[in-house]
Amino acid sequence: MDNTNQETKITITLPTSAYFVSGIRDFTLNMVKNTTNFEEKWAYRFQSVIDELCNNAIEYGSAEGQDIKVTFIFKTDDYLRIIVEDTGTGKNKIDAAGLQKIYDERHAPGYVFSGIRGRGLVKIVGEWSDELKFEDRPEGGLKISIIKHLKDARKKDAGISQPNTSTVTLNI
Amino acid sequence: MTEVKVLIEDLVSPTPDKKLKIVHITGQLDESNVDEKIQEVYKVLEANPQNLDLIFDLENLEYMNSKSIGYLTDIYGKVTETNGKVVIAKARPNIADILQVVGLTQLVSLYDSIDSAKTALAS
Repeated sequence: MDNTNQETKITITLPTSAYFVSGIRDFTLNMVKNTTNFEEKWAYRFQSVIDELCNNAIEYGSAEGQDIKVTFIFKTDDYLRIIVEDTGTGKNKIDAAGLQKIYDERHAPGYVFSGIRGRGLVKIVGEWSDELKFEDRPEGGLKISIIKHLKDARKKDAGISQPNTSTVTLNI
Repeated sequence: MTEVKVLIEDLVSPTPDKKLKIVHITGQLDESNVDEKIQEVYKVLEANPQNLDLIFDLENLEYMNSKSIGYLTDIYGKVTETNGKVVIAKARPNIADILQVVGLTQLVSLYDSIDSAKTALAS
C-alpha cells in the first residue's frame, strides 16, 4: 500500500527556553528534506519560519517554566502546515487581535522597519507561507499556524507569477 | 547557548585613509546567543568611530535569525554614517536567501569571495 501521500502529524512540546529551539530547527530541516517533496531551499526556509514562531511564543506567550507546542502536519506531495501554540502566561503576552494589528501595520506597503527587532513575523513567516492564521486558544494563549502548498512553492521557484495568495485570518 | 564564534581580524585596506576589518562568523546566530555575541562587533565600532570598512565573512555561518539581521542593519547604519562601508562575503545560499527576504541585500552587497569584497570596497 502506498502511504507516501497520507497526512502525517508530529507534535513536539518544549520548555519555554531559547536553548531548545536549535533542536527544533534541526528537526524541521531534516524532516522537510527527508519526508516531503519540497526542494531543499524550502527546508531551510521552514527552518527560519519555525525559529521565528518559536521565539515569539517563548518571548511573549509562555512564561518560564511552562512550555510551547509545535505541530507539523504534512502530506508529502501537497503541503506543510506548522502550528505553534503558547499558554498565554508570558509577561508580554498578546491576543490574536493585537498580533493581527501589529502584523497588518508591518505588512502595509511602505512600512519602514527600524530597530533591531520586529522583522521576523512579516518578512520571514509572512513571505514564506501561503496562509498565516492567528487564533486565541480557548484555554488561553495564542495559536499561530501557517500553511505552504507544494505546488505554489514550485510555481514560485519556476518564476511563474501568480496572484498574491497570502492571507491572514483572524479567529477569536 | 547555540554555538557561534566571532573572530575579527585586521586586513590591509585598499583605501589608504580607511581601516578594514573582517568579521568571521562561524556557527549559528539565534535568540540564545546573538545579543551577547554581536557586542564583539559593536566594540570594534566604538574603537573605530570613523572611516571603518567591514567585511562580514559568512562562509561558515549555518543559520541566522531575524534579530541578527536587525543588528546587521543597525551596524550598517552606524558604519555608513561615519564614512565607512559594509559588505558581506561568501554567504551560503540559505543565508543569502534570508538576507534577501528580509531586505538587507537592498543595503548591503553580497560577494562570492573576500577578494571581490575588498575590490568593491576600493571602488
